[in-house]
Amino acid sequence: MKKNISRREFLKIGGYLATGFGLSQYYTDVFASGLNNLVSGTPKIIWLQAQSCSGCSVSFLNANGPYIQQIITELVSIMFHPTISAAQGDVAIDIIKNVSSADFPFIFIVEGAIPLDMPKACMIGEETFEDMAIPLLKRAKYIMAAGTCATYGGIPSAEGNPTGAVGVMDFMKNKNIPYKGRLVNCPLCPTHPASIIGTLAYLAGKGYPDVDEKLLTPHMFYAHSVHYNCPRYHFYEKGIFADKFGDEGCLFKLGCLGPLSYTTCPWRQWNGGINWCIRAAAPCIGCSHPYFAKFKDFPFYRKGEKYHQVKYQEKDRTSK
Amino acid sequence: MSQRIRIDPVTRIEGHLAVKLDIERKGTKYIVGSAYSLGEMFRGFEVILKGRDPLDAQQITQRICGVCPISHGIASCKAQEMAYGIRPNKNGRLLQNLILAANYIQSHVLHFYLLAALDFIDITAILKYRGKDQELQEIKAWAESKLKAAQLGEPYALGPLLPRYEGDFDIKDPSINIEFLKHYLMALDIRRMAHEMGAVFGAKLPHATALVPGGCTQVPHEERVLSYGSRLNLIKRFVEHIYLPDVKGLFSLLPEYWNIGRGYKNLLSYGVFDLGSGDTLFKGGAIIYGDYEPLDIDAIVEDVEYSRFSSPSSLPPNRGQTIPFPDKPGAYSWLKAPRYKNHPMEVGPLARILVDYKTPGPSLFKNLVKNLFKELKVTEQDMYSVAGRHIARAMELKVIIDAAFEWLNDLDIDSAPARDFDLVKKGKGIGLTEAPRGALGHWLSISDYKIDRYQCVVPSTWNFSPRDHNNLPGPVERALKYTPIKDPKQPIEAARVVRSFDPCLACAVH
Repeated sequence: MKKNISRREFLKIGGYLATGFGLSQYYTDVFASGLNNLVSGTPKIIWLQAQSCSGCSVSFLNANGPYIQQIITELVSIMFHPTISAAQGDVAIDIIKNVSSADFPFIFIVEGAIPLDMPKACMIGEETFEDMAIPLLKRAKYIMAAGTCATYGGIPSAEGNPTGAVGVMDFMKNKNIPYKGRLVNCPLCPTHPASIIGTLAYLAGKGYPDVDEKLLTPHMFYAHSVHYNCPRYHFYEKGIFADKFGDEGCLFKLGCLGPLSYTTCPWRQWNGGINWCIRAAAPCIGCSHPYFAKFKDFPFYRKGEKYHQVKYQEKDRTSK
Repeated sequence: MSQRIRIDPVTRIEGHLAVKLDIERKGTKYIVGSAYSLGEMFRGFEVILKGRDPLDAQQITQRICGVCPISHGIASCKAQEMAYGIRPNKNGRLLQNLILAANYIQSHVLHFYLLAALDFIDITAILKYRGKDQELQEIKAWAESKLKAAQLGEPYALGPLLPRYEGDFDIKDPSINIEFLKHYLMALDIRRMAHEMGAVFGAKLPHATALVPGGCTQVPHEERVLSYGSRLNLIKRFVEHIYLPDVKGLFSLLPEYWNIGRGYKNLLSYGVFDLGSGDTLFKGGAIIYGDYEPLDIDAIVEDVEYSRFSSPSSLPPNRGQTIPFPDKPGAYSWLKAPRYKNHPMEVGPLARILVDYKTPGPSLFKNLVKNLFKELKVTEQDMYSVAGRHIARAMELKVIIDAAFEWLNDLDIDSAPARDFDLVKKGKGIGLTEAPRGALGHWLSISDYKIDRYQCVVPSTWNFSPRDHNNLPGPVERALKYTPIKDPKQPIEAARVVRSFDPCLACAVH
């Protein structure tokens, strides 16, 4: 049973999504037919949080094309989301358990890292997150790792962490759950709302997207260099560098990790196109990178490098 | 006779919380006897930060929480600023205030409409809608089609809004419920817009990369100021004409909630929104058993008797340790239990406005609070309640919005947004501020240009703390006691008490 949304309406939303990412007409059509399928609940969505800060959920609420209201009440059939769902306590656990043995197709969205060496560091309903998630990971048609924690482990997995946190891909490898052709990684800290809805629409419209072979990030959202699309690139070329926060110029010498980052930030921007890090003169901290925040001796900013040891040379901050 | 029940997980909050309740039978009714608050997720930020460049901290600690990252960013900047021996320049101070104000707006609006209201409002009333509002007609059509789909066997067709606890939804008038649903949808726009305001100066939200010690990286150009101000204008109208009246209206329909969820009447606030010259918009201080006293920051320790840590108990944060012990016998939460002069303290908007109200001498909330008491015919005692907490939250937002207009006007356009600084080989700093949920402190020490120790004592750590070595329950555990429960299988009344504290568990444990 679906509400009547016209094909034109779907094309409009699909087109808006595609344009935002600088994608071609082909994607407009795929997104439109994907949204059409999502409306009828094929597939449905379940979202769980592990070692997360809920930032990706909050970022999802910032969706503005299509708007979050339309996503929740019209476009996407969200069976459970810990921050939005009315369900709580046993009512919530019942949903998760029933979906774990569901015979209908669903996409499982994971937010946050998984504490592989200390399973009790994340509990839901008197079970470890691990025990709760394994049946869902096995049964889901597709799995989306939303955000850098779910993708690569993020900050919970940084050097010296006490819980042995890992991203979903490493977790599935560890538990021998097939992930190729099923898991899509959508990093960034937090992940961008448009890449959540865009990935869902693509999965529902066309199936598994083209991804980076190792990182499993969809090319449509994660194949473009921040550095080469940077509005401050001309400063870099001319060798004009900012040397304190708030200065004009290329931010590379302050620590900008744009050269290591592959995202659509330069044109998609954030919060409805209001701003993004480099536009605000804030050096990119590489929040989409597999090594985001990973190493103690690889700080975000370079101010300290003349005082303490660092584990990089300047060229390490310029290549993939 | 008592029976033990759990709300596990408590959803529509930030993070992983469970509540364990011993329910006692009183005649034909039930009330909560003992309550236990369980923090269920641990990441170890304090361990991860050790040995890092201190400048990483204001970025990493923002990731403690995606709902209040700005407060962590600012606490970290303040701790570093103290260690580096600087203060933000004027623009830096104003920009930090403005980004923080934007995040207060998004957090409070999110909390009331998206998180808390679904416990009070019966959204199924939409099926009875007969009016002409097009958006509501669309939602009604969606609900009807989904209801039909559910009858034909589609699983969870009405997710994420149903299923739910089918407790007693006391507001029977469908038009009030439908009006709330309309405001729920508006609130989604308002909180997104508030995040846009934060991004105007903060680069992006959640997790603003533009926050740095000494201020902010975004130069306040004219178009940035306009972009922030135009949104603030719209939001001001929503807060004054919709949010505040909704909260007041809700609890005039449910007056018993002025009497439920009382707690200890111990309040703590550090004060927030720097006005320069060391003064803050909200004054800091403490209230113990109803009496005001000035803030003594050295009176804070963290107890771990019932917390899953093997590190020594009752350490002050500047000597704090975090050594996880997941299987510690007797421990039942990942939260530490902060205590102020051995007292469990409630923090949050209620603490902010009552501490300010009771501060000797002139203060911002003196008249506002008096007028509120008169308008709603309530007393200071009544404020220690579910209703009091919700009203305090809405009320302070109006004040913050008015102040934000002034900060916006005070910005020096196109001038430096931050003060420059030098790193230090050795140093200590304390960053005290108020997150939307209450008193937040970061304690930092630097050695050899690296972080030697980093300890965070976070609002929900105070509110949701477990028992301590004196077996004193934490503030929420105490506030839950005596809560009347109609149906122990669907303890929605207890959930209302828990959510009045605006739980943020990723923060609380970190």
